[in-house]
Amino acid sequence: MGALGKPIILMVGMYLFLKFVLPYIPGSAPLPSSLIFLYLLLTASGIVIYETLSGESKDAFWEPMQRFLTGEKIGGLQALRYGVLILFPLLVGWQTYGSTATSDLPPTESRTIHPAPPGEYTGLSNPVPKTPENIMQGKGFYAAFCSPCHGGNFDGKGPAARGFIPAPANFADPTTIAMLQESYLFWRIKKGGVGLPIEGAPWKSAMPRWEVELPDEWIWKIIMGEYDGAHQSPRTWE
Amino acid sequence: MKPASPMMKQILSCGSAVIASLIIGGASLTFAQESVSVRATLVTGGLPLDDPNAAAWSSAPPASFPMSPQVHWPNRIQEVTVKDVGVRALHDGKQVVFLLEYADPTQDQDDGAALEFMVGDKKAHFAHGQPMLQVEGGPVNIWFWKNKAGKAVDMSAKGFGTLKPQSHQDVNAKGVYSNGTWKVVFSRNLSTDHPEEDVQITPGEFISIAFAVWDGRKDAAGELVEKGSQKAVSSWWYFRADAPPDYSSYMYAAIAAALALGFQFVLIRKLKKGQ
Ligand code: HEC
Repeated sequence: MGALGKPIILMVGMYLFLKFVLPYIPGSAPLPSSLIFLYLLLTASGIVIYETLSGESKDAFWEPMQRFLTGEKIGGLQALRYGVLILFPLLVGWQTYGSTATSDLPPTESRTIHPAPPGEYTGLSNPVPKTPENIMQGKGFYAAFCSPCHGGNFDGKGPAARGFIPAPANFADPTTIAMLQESYLFWRIKKGGVGLPIEGAPWKSAMPRWEVELPDEWIWKIIMGEYDGAHQSPRTWE
Repeated sequence: MKPASPMMKQILSCGSAVIASLIIGGASLTFAQESVSVRATLVTGGLPLDDPNAAAWSSAPPASFPMSPQVHWPNRIQEVTVKDVGVRALHDGKQVVFLLEYADPTQDQDDGAALEFMVGDKKAHFAHGQPMLQVEGGPVNIWFWKNKAGKAVDMSAKGFGTLKPQSHQDVNAKGVYSNGTWKVVFSRNLSTDHPEEDVQITPGEFISIAFAVWDGRKDAAGELVEKGSQKAVSSWWYFRADAPPDYSSYMYAAIAAALALGFQFVLIRKLKKGQ
């Protein structure tokens, strides 16, 4: 069975990688089992192609497998052989059941958190001078309009946040405003959740469309106050 | 020993890959996911259409959803009484019945609650189907119960200020208050004659649902605190009426297992003959 050891280790390793390592790489997500299945199938065919390329390893690879299946001179492995012969049809049946039975889980929806802004909202710079007074004023507006959802501590945990899904953005988190430009924030604050393109799932977002309530100048001041309060700085074109 | 034919090798190798991935795929099934939807269980013995305390409710799995004060558009409210709603549902293939439960310390004339549904294939914003700027949205159907009225109003909206009762009323509701808890039962036929305005419920399909609650208490000046847009709201969640049991996947599984068994049998015979 020695020649089969390596392929088996490889398959198991690949599985562990797909299942437990890949989902934790930033920007990745857990793979559906059908995709894992496909990847493992590809891995298996890769192994077979590799093993059958050279004549020598070919026999070393196939011979033990044939012997195992026919049960010839495999001694103590006989029990294992019966186990495999019984398990294989059962597993095929199980997998078939799993892929044809209707799921009880609601459809999964992915949502792009930072979709591209409309062209007119790229590269705008904040027209309001960055003075302590303006920042102060921006923080005041923030406290009045934004903190119920985004939180007095800029952490997305405002008193009104609990029922909203997606949750209000946490501005202290380095993956929100710290990686965005002021221009992008200006778009998001003006147009709100309903201004998102389809990949942003606008029908779910509670983020208000502030352009109907706040003048542009206030929005620019709020942006300033928001960065200052969350101890972040806007992304710029270096 | 004669080497097996290339064809045979391929079959063999696929087989082993399939075994491996089956074992693996099976293992992943054991991580059960928490349900984030309301499911209407299919029942045969009659629906508790106006009885929130009927025994039949115990067969419906309960789901709980968090509520927020409505701070999304004016007029806002910063604090509301109801923080969570519990929801159950049942259907009998003709009618659906929802049971909404929530804690409210006082029973008031103006207490009210509503269910909201997306209608048709177009997505609708959870706040009254307000227009989206880059996506064409659809309407919402709102089933609004008010204690004072003692019934439900079947309403439609597509944007703020467009909410109005429909000319055809298809929804019934009844609320029962006891021990600081409201239990409100809403019922309707699964399908209606007005698919442009009413949510159509097809067993087996997921539909978007949202909730709203008004605590009809009054402040010191005798003014209602929660009224109109000043209410507790939820996000969109999923609702599904269970489809009748379908055993076809057991049959497919049995056929697949039989085929696999036959494949093994033929393969081993071939291999043995080849020697
Ligand atoms: C009703 C609750 C609510 C209020 C009030 C609110 N927001 Fe939001 N906001 C959200 C939600 C929910 C999201 C996440 C969904 C989204 O991106 O649309 C969000 C997202 C954002 C984002 C995008 C962050 C990112 O990483 O993409 C910005 C910027 C933002 N809000 C700024 C503000 C500002 C500034 C105010 C006050 C003027 C404000 N919000 C008020 C709910 C709210």
